[in-house]
Formats: sequence, structure tokens, C-alpha cells
Amino acid sequence: MVGGRCRILVIEDDRETAEQLVEALATNGYEVDLAVDSDDGLSRGRSAEYGVMTIDRMLPGIDGIAIIRRLREEGIVTPALIVSALGEVDDRVRGLRAGGDDYLVKPFAFAELLARVEALARRSDSVVKETVLRAGDLELDLVSRKVSRGGRNIDLLPREFKLLVYLVRNQGQVVPRAMLLQHVWDLHFDPTTNIIDVYVGRVRRKVDAAQAYPLIHTVRGVGFCLRAPC
Amino acid sequence: MSGFVSVLLAKTLRSRTFKQALIWIAIVGAVIFALLGYVYWSTASYVRGRSDHAIMAELASLQKAYASAGRSGLIATISQRLADQRSKGGVYLLADSSFAPLAGNLADWPSAMKGSSGWGNFNAREGRTLLRATFETLPDGSHLLVGKDVDDLDGFAQKIKVAMALCILWIFVLGGAVGVSITRRTVGRIESINATSRAIMQSGLDQRIPLRGTRDEWDELAANLNSMLDRIEALMVEVKQVTDNVAHDLRTPLAHMRGRLERAYNRQRDGDYDQSLIVDTIADLDGVLRMFSSLTRISQIEASDRTAAFRPVNLVEIASEVVELFDAAAEDKGGRLKIVGGRSVLATGDRDLLFGAVANLVDNAIKHGRDAGQVTVEVKKAYGGAVISVADDGPGIPVDEYQHVFKRFYRLERSRRTPGNGLGLSLVAAVARLHGARIEMLDNLPGLKVQLWFPSPTRSGW
Repeated sequence: MVGGRCRILVIEDDRETAEQLVEALATNGYEVDLAVDSDDGLSRGRSAEYGVMTIDRMLPGIDGIAIIRRLREEGIVTPALIVSALGEVDDRVRGLRAGGDDYLVKPFAFAELLARVEALARRSDSVVKETVLRAGDLELDLVSRKVSRGGRNIDLLPREFKLLVYLVRNQGQVVPRAMLLQHVWDLHFDPTTNIIDVYVGRVRRKVDAAQAYPLIHTVRGVGFCLRAPC
Repeated sequence: MSGFVSVLLAKTLRSRTFKQALIWIAIVGAVIFALLGYVYWSTASYVRGRSDHAIMAELASLQKAYASAGRSGLIATISQRLADQRSKGGVYLLADSSFAPLAGNLADWPSAMKGSSGWGNFNAREGRTLLRATFETLPDGSHLLVGKDVDDLDGFAQKIKVAMALCILWIFVLGGAVGVSITRRTVGRIESINATSRAIMQSGLDQRIPLRGTRDEWDELAANLNSMLDRIEALMVEVKQVTDNVAHDLRTPLAHMRGRLERAYNRQRDGDYDQSLIVDTIADLDGVLRMFSSLTRISQIEASDRTAAFRPVNLVEIASEVVELFDAAAEDKGGRLKIVGGRSVLATGDRDLLFGAVANLVDNAIKHGRDAGQVTVEVKKAYGGAVISVADDGPGIPVDEYQHVFKRFYRLERSRRTPGNGLGLSLVAAVARLHGARIEMLDNLPGLKVQLWFPSPTRSGW
């Protein structure tokens, strides 16, 4: 895991959702502050000591995106995760995401929420530019694009390599399917089939076959997790 | 029926068309009135001018007679004139300085003629005839009056006046009648459209506006409205079907979940059992949510105009990425998935949506094709546009099912038990419509071939 657990600001007016969010984040070691309306959210957000904030898209009387805009205009760069019940991701959210923020559509799996918060928190840290990634006895050379496990070379297609890099970079984290599709294929749609599982299954066969322990694990209903035994 | 007619008449009189017709009739009437007035005025003044001219000439000739032969000569000339048949209608009177008649065919000096000379109109005492005359005072102080019977001239003017009045009256009567009849036709057609609209609002969409077979603009309007109604009715039926299907497809997993939770509630807590129950329930819920988001996604694609966000895309690139993504899935079934065709086929569109559409077709081809089968994706330029086709060599689908498979929730009998919610091809159809693309299904002998025909970028639609 990267760094210590940072503080998180949750701006959410629905009580049950807020409680669930706070509990899910708190049990994963984050310190969480809750703001139940936009004024509270703005004043807390201005203190800028948060690593990540999650913002409900539909607060009473105001669009969550407007709050982010206000904070950005005041120079607050805390990464924001927009939690939306609006369904389809519209162009405004797409535009924001390019600026380093992320979105999540209600209802969501908490594992997915955690994965995205974690990703945003890490983005706010400085990213170390490494050339070799390791996970257990798996080694990925980002320059020569060679993959080996226990000294044995593994042949991967370019996309498979990209996928494995993403999983290794997020090792220990649950990576939801949608995030994989978004970061590995640059696609923003919901695969209604198990196609990602099948694809990851093939990568897993190449990586984990005839090895001492498996690296790639399926998290049922959510996505995948690359984990080396301690 | 008489009630209907009187309503129609009332509507006719209230109608805007009729009011406009009335305004036009008034304008035309005024113009014609002015024209006839001018004709009357100029004719009358011309005729009067000629008559006055003749009187002047007669007066001058009598003055000449006086100048050459004196008063007695003048009296002789007047008597001669009165005896002459040709001067019938002429009026002559010579009076002395105190206006006592000396000669002529008038008994008295008319009271209308005063002073020493001038014109005047008066009625002769013995008749009702209108006379017009002028007189002069002669050097010896006597007065000479010459005039003419202008009764027929006056009658002529009256006739013109009557003709004018009749003309105006006819214009109003005829114009009004034509206005009413034209307006009534218009109101009648509009009323039949209105009646149909009311019937539709009251009873349902099965009513249509009657056509009269005249092939005029009214029939055209009625035909267009009718086809609009056909479309609305079809959509309503579809919406109802979709709603029924949503209800059915939601009820099934909800019933499963409810039953499962109730059973768990009624038995002893058991860690492993509860665990798997919760996992299953979450999975079922995810299925429901997925169906839900597919539905909203389809309606969003159908409702919104996303063409503003269209960018140039390479269809080959998109299809290749789909093939790469699904390669593993085909491999799992022991089959093969390949892409053939050109290197670069350009179109304008939304990459995410196009990827989703092609992915759906490939997914179907792998799922419903034969085990260890061959799925081929082909992208090529065609007729200035582009075509993407996805073909399998499986059992295919019956030709009479082609038109149904794009309906929401429609599933073939044999695929009822395979996972899926019957929304995939509806999504493909919605994406195709958004891109102006046409979908065609063909028998691949054996198997099914689905083609997406994209219009050329410069043309809009087929």
C-alpha cells in the first residue's frame, strides 16, 4: 500500500449513504469527515488538508460539480470522486475526469469505491517513476516490456502487458472491472458480459500456470486483485 | 345531424378564414364603389356640360336676333322656335325689367332665377319636369331666359346610381356566399381532424382522420397526421411491451432474492450458508442494476443528440480492439475469432458506443454460435460509406425472427436459459440509429451474419 491513510472529506446529504460511505472508508483505515450540505462541504473543502473528497452529484439546490469548480477556482486541488445517481456519465463529468477527478455511479460496490479513492489518493502523492515493477517473484520491465516469473519468461500480447502493469501497480488493491476497461482499454462503458473475466483468465493462465502460488485473484462481483503472499 | 350543421355554421362564422373573407369583400366593395362613383360623376358632368353648351348657343343666337331686329324681332324668333318641333323640350321666356312675362312658354318668371344673369335649376309649374336654364338682361332692361328640360338627364343619373347600388349589393351577397362556402369547406376538414383528435383523447389511438380521396393539401395533411398516429401507436405498443417485460424480468430475480432472504431468516444463522447467500444476492442485484442501466442507456442514446460529440474514428481500429478483447472468450469455447478487411476505414461517431455495439455483436456471435466455431469480423468501405459485418457459423436464427431480435427484451426460445437480458441487440440498434447506420441480417449458410452499414461521412443518412 502506498503511504499512510489520508483524510477524506465526504460530502453527501443522504444519511444512509453517508453512513455507509463513512463506515466503509473508516474500516479501511481512513480518517473521514462528513459534510451534509454544500456550505459545510465548501468550508471544509477549503481547509485543503484532505487527500481525497467524495461529492454527491445531486446536493440540495446545487450540482456537486459546481462545488468542485468553486474549490478549483480558489486553488484547492484535492482530487474529487463524484458519486452520481444520474446513471449515464455525461460530458461534463467526462471533462472533469480529464482534470484528475473520477466518478462513480450509484449504486456501487464498496470495493469499487475504495479502489477509486485509493487511486485518487495515490495520484495526489508524487508518483515514483520506476522502470521495473515487482510483485512476489513476478518482474515486469517497463522499458524492454519483458515479463518473467521465477526467472522464466512469459510472452504477453501488448494489451495483456498493459493489463498486468495496471494490476501490479495496484497490487493489494481490488481493481474493479470498469476501472480495468477504463485504464487498459480507455473505454467508458459497462461490459454487460463476463468478457473482462475471460480476458483476465487468459492472462492468469500465462502468469500463474505451474507456479508455486497464484498472483491474480478474482474478487467475486467486483473485479480482480493481484496479491503476492507475504 | 342538424346540431352538427349548426355547430359547423357557428364555427364557420367564427372562423378566421371567414373574417378574412369579409375584410376582403369590404375592400373590394369599396374599390368598386369608388370606381363606379367616378364613372357616374364623369358621365353626369359630361352630359350636363353638353346640355349647358347647347343652352348657351341658343341664348347667343337669340341675343343676336335681338341685336339685329330689336325686341319685336326677338319675340318673333321665340314664337318661331316654339312652333318648331325640333326645339321640343326647350324653354324660352322674355320678361320685362320687372320680370313680367312678355313671350315664351313659361307662365311666370321662375323665382330661382335672380339678379341680372346666371344659371339655375327649377321645376316648371305645369309639370314635374326638372328644367335647367340661364338668363341674361338685355340692353333695354328686359330679361331673356333660355333653358332645357333635363328630366331625362336626371333619370340617367338615377339609373347609374341604382346600377351602382345593385352592383355593390351583388358583390356583398356573392362574396359572402363564396366566403361562407369556402370557409365551410375549410372548417369542415379542420372539424373532422378536430373530431378525430377528440376521439383519440377520449377513447384511444385506433381512430384515424377520414381521407376524401381528393388528393388535395387537406388529404395530404390528413394522411401525414394518420401516419404520425400510426407511429405513435406503434411506439405505445412497444412501450407497453417493454414495461411488461421490465416488470417480468425484474420480478424474477427479485422473487429469487426475496425467497432466499426469507428462507435464511427462518433458519439458524450459519456463517457459510449466509455468506454464500449474501454473495448470490449481491450478484442478482448487480444483474438487475445492469439491466436497469442498459435500459436507461438505450433510452439515453435514443433520446439525446450525441452527434455533437462525434469524432472521426477508424472502424478497423475499433473492431480490432473488440476482436482482441473477445479473443480469449472465443478461445474458451474452442473457437476462433478473426478480423479481415481493410486497414483503415473511417467514419464519424462515438468510439465508446461503436465499441459497445460491435462488442455486443461479437459477444452474441461467440455465445450463440457453434462450439469450436469460427467468428469473422469484417470491416470494409462500401458505397462511399463503410460496413462492419460480424458472422458466425452456428445455427443462425430463423428468417422470420430477424425483425424481432432488435426489440427490447426479445429472446429466442432456445437462448432463454443462457445469461443475458435481451437488451444487447436493442443497444446495437440504438447506436446504429444514432450513427445513421442500417442493420442488415443475412443467412451466413450456415450461421448468422449481421451487417452495420454506415453512410458516407458527407451524406446524412440513407
